[in-house]
This record gives sequence, structure tokens and C-alpha cells, in this order.
Amino acid sequence: MLAEKYQDHIADLLARYPVKRSALLPLLNLAQKEEGYVSESAMKEIAEILDLTPPQVYETATFYTMFNMNPIGKFHVQICKSLMCGLVGSDPLIQWVQQRLGVGPGQTTSDRLFTLSVVECLGSCGTGPMMQVNDDYYERLSEERVGRIFDELKETGNSSLKSGPFMVPEPISR
Amino acid sequence: MAESNNQDLVTLTVDGMTTSVPQGTLVIEAARQVGVMIPHFCYHPKLTPDANCRMCLVEIEKLPRLQTSCSTKVAEGMVVKSNVPHVDEARKSVLEFILANHPLDCPVCDQGGRCDLQDFSHQYTPTTSRFTELKRVFPKEYFSPLIETQMNRCVQCMRCVRYCDQVMDVKALAPSGRGTLTEIKHFSAHELDCEFCGGCVQICPVGAITSRLSMYDFRPWMLKRTDTICTYCGDGCHITIQKKQDELIEVNSTQGVGRNNGDLCARGFFGYHASVHPDRIMHPLIKQQDGRFAQATWEEALELVAEKFQGIKTAFGGNAFGGLVTSRCTNEELYLFQKFMRGVLGSNRVDSSARFGHVNGTLPLLSVQGTHRWTATFEDIVDADALLLIGTNITETNPITGLKVKQAVKQGHAILVTMESLLPARGTISNITLLATHHLPVRPDHYHIAIVGLIKSVLDNGLVDPGLETRAPEFFRAIKAAIDSTSWAHIEEVSGVSREVFSQSAHAFSSSTRGMIIVGQGVLRSPRGAEMVTNLLDFLILTGRHGQPGCGLCPLAEENNDQGAIEMGATAEFLPGPIAIGHHDTRQALSKLWEVDLPQEPASSLMEMFRDAQAGQVKAMYIVGENPVESLPQTGKIKEALESLEFLVCQELFLTETAQLADVVLPACSYVEKDGTFTNTEGMVQPVRQAIDPIGESRPDWEIFSALSVVMDQPMEYGEARDIFKEIRSVIPGYGLVGPVATRPTPKVDVVQQYLQEGFAHGLATRYVCTQDQPASDTPFLLASTQSLFHSGKFSTRSKGLLQIQSSGAIMLNPSDAKKLGIASGDSVCVSNAHGAVTTIARVLNRIPPDVACFPEHFDQDIRCLFELHIDKESHVPYSKLTWVRLERVEKGDV
Ligand code: SF4
Ligand code: SF4
Ligand code: SF4
Ligand code: FES
Repeated sequence: MLAEKYQDHIADLLARYPVKRSALLPLLNLAQKEEGYVSESAMKEIAEILDLTPPQVYETATFYTMFNMNPIGKFHVQICKSLMCGLVGSDPLIQWVQQRLGVGPGQTTSDRLFTLSVVECLGSCGTGPMMQVNDDYYERLSEERVGRIFDELKETGNSSLKSGPFMVPEPISR
Repeated sequence: MAESNNQDLVTLTVDGMTTSVPQGTLVIEAARQVGVMIPHFCYHPKLTPDANCRMCLVEIEKLPRLQTSCSTKVAEGMVVKSNVPHVDEARKSVLEFILANHPLDCPVCDQGGRCDLQDFSHQYTPTTSRFTELKRVFPKEYFSPLIETQMNRCVQCMRCVRYCDQVMDVKALAPSGRGTLTEIKHFSAHELDCEFCGGCVQICPVGAITSRLSMYDFRPWMLKRTDTICTYCGDGCHITIQKKQDELIEVNSTQGVGRNNGDLCARGFFGYHASVHPDRIMHPLIKQQDGRFAQATWEEALELVAEKFQGIKTAFGGNAFGGLVTSRCTNEELYLFQKFMRGVLGSNRVDSSARFGHVNGTLPLLSVQGTHRWTATFEDIVDADALLLIGTNITETNPITGLKVKQAVKQGHAILVTMESLLPARGTISNITLLATHHLPVRPDHYHIAIVGLIKSVLDNGLVDPGLETRAPEFFRAIKAAIDSTSWAHIEEVSGVSREVFSQSAHAFSSSTRGMIIVGQGVLRSPRGAEMVTNLLDFLILTGRHGQPGCGLCPLAEENNDQGAIEMGATAEFLPGPIAIGHHDTRQALSKLWEVDLPQEPASSLMEMFRDAQAGQVKAMYIVGENPVESLPQTGKIKEALESLEFLVCQELFLTETAQLADVVLPACSYVEKDGTFTNTEGMVQPVRQAIDPIGESRPDWEIFSALSVVMDQPMEYGEARDIFKEIRSVIPGYGLVGPVATRPTPKVDVVQQYLQEGFAHGLATRYVCTQDQPASDTPFLLASTQSLFHSGKFSTRSKGLLQIQSSGAIMLNPSDAKKLGIASGDSVCVSNAHGAVTTIARVLNRIPPDVACFPEHFDQDIRCLFELHIDKESHVPYSKLTWVRLERVEKGDV
């Protein structure tokens, strides 16, 4: 139950907008943070908080592709398939990842560790192919690097290959 | 369209034709007025423009690019072109895009033959397309038992979604996903749960949302239409019954037509199969020695009835007869019934189901203001600036009047004050209290004291009409004195509403210029109903709204012809008119017209008849379409009364519990099998037309009365229902059928004057006295028998469509009470009090107030044994909607 756990946070969100309904996206975000996806019970709860009907919440949640409507694995692997990454080999990489994980886009491995998504541009075009796993970016990917990332994630829950943190673009080195 | 006066006319040219339309009109509507039909999908006059389909493009001179005529308002001197080649081209392209994803499965689509996409495609597109890509295909999903979706056909106009939100306020439909892949769903993969008004089915321009009740059963051109009036509530919606041969296929309504202006509720849209239920009585039945019924011919049955009636009349006189008729009958039938009872049988014991509550509205209206009808219309509700709803869950009892209220609030920004037991919680059906500016949550047995609180606020806050004290000093002083005897502390304690909320509500209402009070079953069908209505009329007078244009007090009729029953004289206290039963001139005129002497005995109403039957004074009863054994609690001893009769005739559609006691049962037609008129809650008289042949050997009620009178040698002969209506018009000059809007009577000045001078004193000693029923500690729950949106009386429980939405009763209670008792939805619960114990299923609902439990009256066969009967001393209304019970969980339900 979001309302009990995040009482103050929700009150703060609601206070930010003149119209209650405006807090819908932040609340959906909160729900996704909590469970990794937007569950039906979360949507019902949000509907109640905002005085909407569940279908109204569902409408908004499904409009945004970044809301997961189904449970996801521990690591949400989102690989960019847009043009820039495509030019530097994201297609074969995606194929390779599918084989390695044994699942297709939108699917989760049977150990519930990895969910694979193929997404549009994540804004890291200079360092493709790239992917985002949960909140971290991984850039200049190769099959070997992705393999290592998956192994490390599996073992330690973290990977040394992740980029950043950085606030400005990397200097161009020649 | 936005209302405006003549000064604000704008002149424009559409395809060379010049026209003047009110400012604010949309170009598409202006074009329609000169006969230019602009193709469109997403536009609908009921909805705010969305301009998402781009089908309605037109050229407007001086504006760059083509414009959507559905969202562009007219301007002075505008030149609109709809028939030029590049507009045509643009529309073609739009269609090409829509068709790129359309399955073109017209041969198996129920919309085929009346589909906008089909029509426009014929008009605009070549038969080839430049698109070679695969079409979008949605996996087929089950949507609901009554409504089918076929999303591959959807043109994404969002009319269904907007209708469900803007008009219905239900918000049950969600466009899920985005772009081409947008799909109309309910909530995720859940089956649709909503008001089932059928609006989305009707408003979808293509075959994406259709009715499953008639799926694959017809092609539109096979259907024969009959325009008639719905029988399921007092709103009197205009419906079109569509049949194929003699098979009922569907019901629809038409935008712009009828008091409902094209809207319907679930009962009207999905309830039409009740008439053709296999249990209909097909032949006259005569009870044999062994107590079983034997099929008889009409001749045998009528002769037996005539003989018995004659015998009883000769032996005991006319006063030995009692007659009860349902207000589901047409005006013609109600009129003829009372004529038969009074004229042929010579009895003044006549009553109808209007006795169950509607008289509580009419009697006070007559005595305070001399009208028996509303002084306002549905249009006035829409135009009101303040609405006060008292004791009405209007969405469930009178859904279309409810829509007018929603429109007034959502579009007209009217102030809405609701005094209702329902809590403002959102659910799968809309809830009028959520739209309220001020909501007074009042327990169902506390409306009286809450009304007193409202009036006290008017007096205490100086909101009284300034001229009143000088105009009617006695009235003012007497009411004030009566009100002063109840303290605020008491009002606050009993009603649970604070003085402040009362005064805010009173302020809100009295600051209006067009203020209306709408009163529902919570008041009309509860003890002291007539007193509460009188008090509310006092409230109107005190606030100065009484008699003002667009103002008035409007009691909601529950049954389709409650209002007609009173106007036709089918209640004890009235002759047709309604004119008081003792009115000398009317009696003489009727005597002359009917060529009989009218009975002299005092009139007796429903409950008096049963009382006298038990006492042996009433020997025979004629019961038409009513089932008092079932609708009144056992404590009323109705069954005993009927069993003590010498002779009972029932005229029925079904072999009800009452009909089973009859000596003769005469099979009657339902509303779809006969002609006549119904008078709706606002006093609008509307034509009912025969759609199908009578089922079995059944005959319209009026025909049976007429045939019986002939056999009894006192003929009341008519060729058709219309002839009776002519006679009604000779008795009530100018009755009915005058244009599309109900006439608004104005309060009679002399009656109001009389009321203000002395009439108010009648009953004043008691009608403001606040009494309080304390629950016994072992029965802490107030059980209310309530009306459901999905049913109407017991008749609709024979409709296969409505049974798919709701097929049984459940005890509804509030989550906090449920928690205390350890009850969850689906659990078996024992409901009991001193009268008995009944086990039923629980349903936990947020909108039910604490300490209250509700049960739908349509399924109360078992639970009604817990109710008691109270009879109103003044209006003789039998009350049996409230009782005290305790609740216990019996068994966990399967979740
Ligand atoms: S039938 Fe249900 S979903 Fe459709 S418009 Fe009516 S309430 Fe909304
Ligand atoms: S289902 Fe019908 S009304 Fe609803 S968006 Fe699709 S085409 Fe329009
Ligand atoms: S039940 Fe009432 S509101 Fe519903 S369609 Fe019939 S007349 Fe209209
Ligand atoms: S009707 Fe105008 S854009 Fe759809």
C-alpha cells in the first residue's frame, strides 16, 4: 500500500499541483519504483487517491512506454535500437543478448533476473551501442563487455562497467 | 449548442448558401442547417469537440490550410467551402489512412448497413489503397456479457470514451496504448463493469462496440422500427424498438428525440426481453376445485368473472369490490379501470401503485400550490443554477433525470446540494454526490430532521425572502415557531451534519435565481413522506424561490406512469383530472358522460381495502398487474386478506404470488404489445405504440376492461386506445400531446394565498416535530430496501439482458462495518431481527454509509420478511423500505 508507506511523499506531491489529477505521473513513477512495474492494485490505489477511476489511471499508464505494465526481473536491460546505435552494431548485439539470455524483447528470464527491452534513443548516441540497466548506463558495448556485465550483475548485483557518474559530456580524446 | 439570444446572430456562407446562426455555433452545425452534411467521426453534438479524426475538413476563406469544421466556431462573414475538389481530396486521404488499418469485415459486422465508415467510403474512396503494409491486428479479448468490442474496426474517434466521461460521468472506458495501437479497454484485461447504459454502443460510428444481445442476428434493413416509451421508470425515455418479424432485436434511441435526447440507461437499452419471457401467461386461467388452474377460453373466463361480479354486486353492493392497478399501465387503461370500478362495479375502492410513494409528492403539491405536476421541466434542470437533491440516488432510480443534473453541474456550473445517505465515493457506476458542491450525508431515516435543519438555517441566517414576513405574517411566525422548537444541538446530533454545512447549503441555494428541489424515493417512500414534501415547499416559499420561473419542487416518479395514474383518477382520493373525489360538479359531469350514478361511499385506498377484506367487508378484488403479496411485508397480512375474499381476479403477465391466489387469471399484454400513452415524471404525455403482436392469447388491459363491461351488460366500448384518449380529453380538456416539451403549470395564486393564510396550519402541530427511532442494541444496522440501476420492480428480473448484469441480491455494507464484523465481499451473511433470519451474500461498497445496509428490492423475496409495515395516517402510503437488523458472518465466500 503506497498510501501508508509514502504518506508524506504523496502529500507533498499532491500539494504541488492545483488539480489533484496532475499528480498522476509522479504517483505512477512512485508505484513503478516500488514494485518495478505498475501493478493493478497500485493503479486502483492511485485512482482512489486522485479521485479517478481505475480505467483513467490505466489509460495514462499505458500511454507511456516507460511504465512497465508487467512484473520485470531484477535487472531491466534496455538496449537502444535507434538509428545511431544501429549504425554501430546494435542489431547483432541485440540478437546476441537474446541468445545469451534466452528471452526475446519484453520477456524475463526464468530465474527472474533479467528483463530485456529494446527501446528508442536514450541520448547516448556518441557512445553506442549502449544500454540502460535499471538506472545505469553502459556504453561502447561489445558482446564480451555485455557478457561481463551480466555475469557481474548476477554475482554482485552491481557492475564495474557502468558509466558515470558524470555531469557533462566526456571530453573528446584523440 | 450554446444558448444565445437573437442579437448574437452571425451570418456566414456555406457552399454558396447564406445562413444566420447563433454566435458560438460550430461550422459543422451551421452547415447542417443549410443541408450540407459534412462527414465526421469524432464529432458528436453531445460532446466537446476533439477534432481528432480530421474527417470534417473544410476550406474557410482567408484561413490558411483546411480547418476542422467540428471545432471551428462561426464568424461573421465566414465563407465555408465543403464541395471543392481539394477538400474532397483531403477527406479521401483521411479515409485512406483510416482504412489502412480497417479489417473491412463488413459482411460479418453488425454495423454493416448503418456504418459511417462504410457510407463515407462509398462516397469518397476508390476501391484500391496505396498501403501494402500489414494491418494492425489486436488479439480478440472478451469485453463483457452484454457489450462486444472488435477493436480492429476502431477508428479511434474517442466518442465512446468521451461519452462515458462527459455525459455519463462513469469513466469506465480507457484508450490504452498509443498511436495506431490504441485500443479501447476497461481496466486492463478486466471485464467491463459500468452502468451499461449502452451509450458507447450507440455512439460508436463503426462496428467496434456492439451489443451482444443481438449479435449476428440481423442486418439493419431487416428491422422494422416502432417508436415508443420505456416502461422502466418515470423518466419516460423515447425508445425505438427494432424487430425482425416478431422477434425483438434491439432498442435504440435518437439524438435530439424524446425527453432523454438520445440517452438511455441499462434498463431501457438492455431490458427489452422481459416482455417475451417464456413464463408469460398465454391463456386465461380458471381455478378448479382442487386449487389448480385450468386453461380457459376468453369467453369462459370473462363470463365467469361477470357472473361472480354481478352476484356479489347484487348481494353486497358496489362497496364490496376493491380494485388495484399498476401504474405501468397506459393512461387509457388506468382511466378505464377506474371507470370500470366506479361506473360498472360501483365502488370507490380504487387504487394504484402510485400509492406506494408518488402520492406523497402530489398531495402536498396540490394543497400548497394547486398543481399536481412539476412546475419545471427537464430543460429547467439543465438551466438551473442551484439544484437541491433530497433522498434520491437519482442515478439508480431516474437515470435520465440524473443526466440532466449532471449536465447542469458539469456544463452549466450549477450549484448542487445533495442530501443523501450515499457517500461520495467513486465506484463502477456514477455517484451524483461526487458532483455536489455541498453534500449532506444523512442516514435514510433522518431526512426529516435534516430538512428541518435546512429550514432552520434559512431562518437563522436571514435568508428569508424579504417580502414574506409582511405578505404572510401568520405563516412566517408559525413556521418559525415550529422550527424553533427543535434545537441545533439536537439537529446536529441526530443528523450528524454540522450547523455550518447546513448554513452553507442554505446560502448556496438561496443565492440562486433558478433553484429547484428534486425529491426521490428516500423521502417519498419513507415514513412522513408527505410531511417532508410539505416542509420542503415551505423551504421554497421561505427562500422566495416558490413560483419563480425555473424553480419548483419536483418529486421523482418511480414507475413509468405513476403520474398518469394520479391524473387518470386511479387513486382513491381522485377522479380523473385529478379532481378531488367529492367534487360535486365533476361527479355530475362524469355521471352524465358515463351514464351511471357514481358511488357515494367514502373512497378507500390500498391498505384500507386489505383491512376491509379481512374484516369481510370487501368480498371481491380486481388486481391488475400488481403483486401486493410480494411487494408488501408479511406483517401486512396481505395474503390472509386476499385468501378471505370470495372472489379474486388478477390480470397479469406472469403467474405472480398474488395471481396464484386468484380465482381467475386474465393474461394481459406488456407495453410492447399495445398502444396508448404514458405520462412521465415531469407531466409529459407521450405515445406508446405496439411493436409486436400480443404474446399468446394476451390482450391489452383496456380491451379486457372493455370486454368485461360488455359481458356485464354495461358496455364501455372503444375501437382502439385512441378512442379512450378522446374521452379522457373530454374529461380533462387539452390533456397531453402538446409539443415536444412538457407544459409547466404555475402555482395557482389563490391556492398559494390560501395556504399562506391558513392552509399551512394543517398538520403543523406535527409535521415539524422531530422524532427519533433508536436502534435496539441487538439490531444496530438500518437495512434499506433500495432500487438498483439495473432493475425496475420485479418485471425487469425477467429480462435476460439485465440478469446478465445483476441476477441476485446482496447485502451491501460499508468497509469499516465489514471490517468490524469480519465480513468480506462474497461471504455469506446472516441478516436477522425479531421477524426472522435470512442468509445472503455480502458486498462491501465504499458508498454505503456506516451503520446502514442496503439490499436491492428486486430480489427481496426472502429478505422482505424482516420488514415491517407502517401506514401514513395522512396519505395512507404503506411504508416498508426500512428496518433494523443485525449482521453476522456465516461462511467465508470463495474469492
Ligand atoms: S455502457 Fe458502460 S462503458 Fe459504455 S458508455 Fe455506458 S457506462 Fe460507459
Ligand atoms: S470504439 Fe468506436 S467510438 Fe470508440 S474510439 Fe473506436 S471507433 Fe470511436
Ligand atoms: S428506465 Fe427510465 S431512464 Fe432508463 S431508459 Fe427507461 S425511462 Fe429511461
Ligand atoms: S469530426 Fe472533426 S476532426 Fe473528427
